[in-house]
Amino acid sequence: MKPFSYATALTPESARELAGQEGAYLAGGNDLLGLMKESILAPKLLVNIKPIPGFNAIEQTARSWILGATTTLAQIENHAGLRQAFPGLHQAVAEVGSLQIRNVATIGGNLAQHSRCWYFRHRDLVCWKKGGDTCLAREGENRYHSIFTGCACISPVVSNLSVVLAALGATVHVRRGDQTLKWSINELYAQAWDDPSAHHSLGSGDLILKIEIPADSRRSAYLQASEKAQFDWALVSCAASAQVDQGRFSRSRIVLGAVAPAPYQVNEANQMLDGQAVDEALAAQVADRLLRDATPVAHNQYKVAIAKALVVRTLLLLRS
Amino acid sequence: MPTWPKESKFISKNIRRIDGPAKVTGSAKYTSDVQPEGCLYGMILRSRWPAARITRINLDKARQVAGFRAAVLVREGERRVRYYGEELAAVACATKQACQDALRAIEVEAVPLPFVVREEDAIRTDSPRVWDDSPNLSKAGLRERGDVTKALADSAVVVEGFFSTPVQVHHPLETHGNTASWTDEELTVWSSTQGIFSVRDGLAGNLNLEQNKIRVISEYMGGGFGAKFGPGVEGALAARLSRAAKAPVKLMLTRFDQSLAVGNRPSSYQKIKLGAAADGKLLAFELDAYGTAGIGSGGSTEGGGGGAEFPAPYIYQIPNIRVSHRGVTVNAGSARAFRAPGHPQASFGMESILDELAVKLNIDPVELRILNDPFEIRRKEYQLGAERFGWKEKYRKPGSSPGSIKTGVGCAGAMWGGGGGGTQAEAQVNPDGAIEIRCGTQDLGTGTKTVIAAIGADLLGLTPDQIAVRIGDTRFPPSGGSGGSTTAASVSPAVHNTCQRVLEELQKVSGMSDVRGENWKSACKKLGVNPLVVPGKWVEGLSSSGVGGVQFAEVEVDTQTGFVKVKKITCVQDCGLVVSRLTCESQVNGGIIMGIGYALYEERVMDRASGMLLNPNFETYKLPGLADVPEIDIVLLDMPERGVIGIGEPVTIPTASAIANAVANALGVRIGSLPVTPAKILAALDKSKATA
Repeated sequence: MKPFSYATALTPESARELAGQEGAYLAGGNDLLGLMKESILAPKLLVNIKPIPGFNAIEQTARSWILGATTTLAQIENHAGLRQAFPGLHQAVAEVGSLQIRNVATIGGNLAQHSRCWYFRHRDLVCWKKGGDTCLAREGENRYHSIFTGCACISPVVSNLSVVLAALGATVHVRRGDQTLKWSINELYAQAWDDPSAHHSLGSGDLILKIEIPADSRRSAYLQASEKAQFDWALVSCAASAQVDQGRFSRSRIVLGAVAPAPYQVNEANQMLDGQAVDEALAAQVADRLLRDATPVAHNQYKVAIAKALVVRTLLLLRS
Repeated sequence: MPTWPKESKFISKNIRRIDGPAKVTGSAKYTSDVQPEGCLYGMILRSRWPAARITRINLDKARQVAGFRAAVLVREGERRVRYYGEELAAVACATKQACQDALRAIEVEAVPLPFVVREEDAIRTDSPRVWDDSPNLSKAGLRERGDVTKALADSAVVVEGFFSTPVQVHHPLETHGNTASWTDEELTVWSSTQGIFSVRDGLAGNLNLEQNKIRVISEYMGGGFGAKFGPGVEGALAARLSRAAKAPVKLMLTRFDQSLAVGNRPSSYQKIKLGAAADGKLLAFELDAYGTAGIGSGGSTEGGGGGAEFPAPYIYQIPNIRVSHRGVTVNAGSARAFRAPGHPQASFGMESILDELAVKLNIDPVELRILNDPFEIRRKEYQLGAERFGWKEKYRKPGSSPGSIKTGVGCAGAMWGGGGGGTQAEAQVNPDGAIEIRCGTQDLGTGTKTVIAAIGADLLGLTPDQIAVRIGDTRFPPSGGSGGSTTAASVSPAVHNTCQRVLEELQKVSGMSDVRGENWKSACKKLGVNPLVVPGKWVEGLSSSGVGGVQFAEVEVDTQTGFVKVKKITCVQDCGLVVSRLTCESQVNGGIIMGIGYALYEERVMDRASGMLLNPNFETYKLPGLADVPEIDIVLLDMPERGVIGIGEPVTIPTASAIANAVANALGVRIGSLPVTPAKILAALDKSKATA
């Protein structure tokens, strides 16, 4: 780890001012400290944003739920109202890391976390994401990597929350300069598709303020498949939401995680569900459509089968 | 001939681990907790090249780092490195951060050389050689008995298969490490080790120091599993740094270091042909195997050690055999003994092909094993285990379990030698009745201290908490390394002998005919001012060797996601006289959990292009967590007449084989390659669908 200064912010504005272009925001620190210890990041200044009053608040308004950026995953997991409103969110949070990690990890940090690609994380290897000019995984050990691989870097988004929040149509409020941007989850990760050095669309100094989830009558569900029963990354994750009236779906969304640089959805697949009474056959068709353009690499063909199974299961779970 | 007491209060009973409270409260001092005054930190600079000629290592800039105190080179002058992570130099500094800064400041000039890290690449003749003077693929070690070709031709059924096991990395929760303190040309080393005397003697050789100038202490240690017998490069570096810095130096490996350079279980690739008569009697076994022990080759046919060879055919009696083993060198860290060296690999190939045979012959897998097993105790264990597990009710035709989540069962057996010897101990009996038993063994976490206390208490008529057990110090009477499942069988007879002699001496001094139990204190009072010190040693008749052991596994496999859930393991194990039941069962639990890791998760992943290890941490080198641990049902065959036999190794051998057999039974398709991952399961199901 390189020497750094440390500051505490009491308002989002002061956090941004303190951080400038060379500082980093410290919330749970799970990702940031790991990156610093491996000398992948060396911020000159860490700005602790946890003490900002209200920054970890969970609020319910008439139209939405609002979760402050430093709301911990444990807070979300244990919140009865959120659990009832968004079972999918609850499940996605409960699958993150271990209890100790969820006690300190924040929703903002979960969304902004960097790639887990073992080439990127390796102290002696340099790839696109570290200023190099190649993706070492593409021809290498890529069992855990993306199956939508048209982009330069094939490390997938691993944030569980990004997947379920995409399904829930959440908005991420980001402070950039004097502006507050309101991004969809798609927009939050759009840059990762185009720019292999990016993990998301956040630039230096950009600060996630809060996440807004529309409170409507849609149901939600989340499932993931891993190698281990707990405390393991998803090989594939899947979230869905829809309004279900007597078995008929509307305003449906089905999203996959750990398969592409961003949560992966296809409008056509969503539309296939709307107005339909979803059964296993339709769910399988939707799964096929979602995975139609998958281009797995040498060692992750199996993820396609898992993704299809999860799509079917998640949709049937949503129906039940 | 000495004997164990027929009736006992503590031996074979559920007594609590005597150092449990110290461990859970943190008062137990492990090597990483030892902090002598003025202690510096040590860290190692490792090669960033999988193969290179190192032409120069310049320490000048490291010396400028604030907090720097000393640096040493592993070797002077030009040298070769042969794997990513090989040790080059080490520094001692006031803080860990300063160590990291100093390591980064060291300038290394190197000429990179071609390398090869995968077995399948290394065996090609056009591959770069790891060692200039010998090919990567060793000559075959051959062993033949009978006439295999004829026996295969005569067999009613022949099954063939190809099986592979990964390189499993040594990952004890406490990494390798030492704290070395050099004063007046005497060296004290706190070491995380399985062998305090082998560390002492290794250091004496390395440092050209007399053995009586070195004291090695290991009061508590957090696991070794075969990788912690000698001081290692890291131990010698700690001692050299301490001498150079004139201060104590603590050098504990990081998890990253641990992944690279301090041992692993060799891989294996096994082509097997097995022939049998129609009634299931095995007739012929042919094995063509290779595997890698990293930069060490190990191509002989003997089991044990850290080589790539393994005992074959495993367990079962087969009249005609032809066995060929070859070692493959690659540019990766070398193997060391790993809990039952060779046996889990051997078991996996043999038990897998045996289940294939059972299916082909339509014979129950348990019956097929009993039919061919020459070891009577294990035959009994198979019967007992099958009954207890409910094998007859649970075993179904492979793949016949309904639904997308399928259940399956499997079984496998193990053998191990163990045995003991060569241990001395002593007791100091004080006039107030307080007694201390001292022995230069070490407790790997298996419960050695509790074993000593239980025996002492029983023989002297006291309670375990009245016995002060002192171990892990080379100033105590010597004992051997804790490996090969020999500790309990080595230490227990020595303690027995010591206590017998204490009773004799105390009777003499006190003039009392019975000094045990309630007479103990009054007898001790008669000692006057001087404590009584009594030596004892290992004696024949209280221990033996040679165990079996069988395990049954029940699994659930999700055929859509490839996820494997181990539901239950039943283990039936003999280990002679059970000394301390709870710590014994605890070892069984540990062996099985380690076997689950081998079955489903663990694998060293090497990157072909860079030659580097890709999973040097617990995030991607996956180990079982609590949620992955099933119901474990343990039956220990109580056989006190056989004396004490160790249990550490046999209990980890059959677990992965039984689980893999259970997965094959669930799916109707065999995954012949460990670890059994979702990727492999889904690929195998895909392939079987395509050919169906």
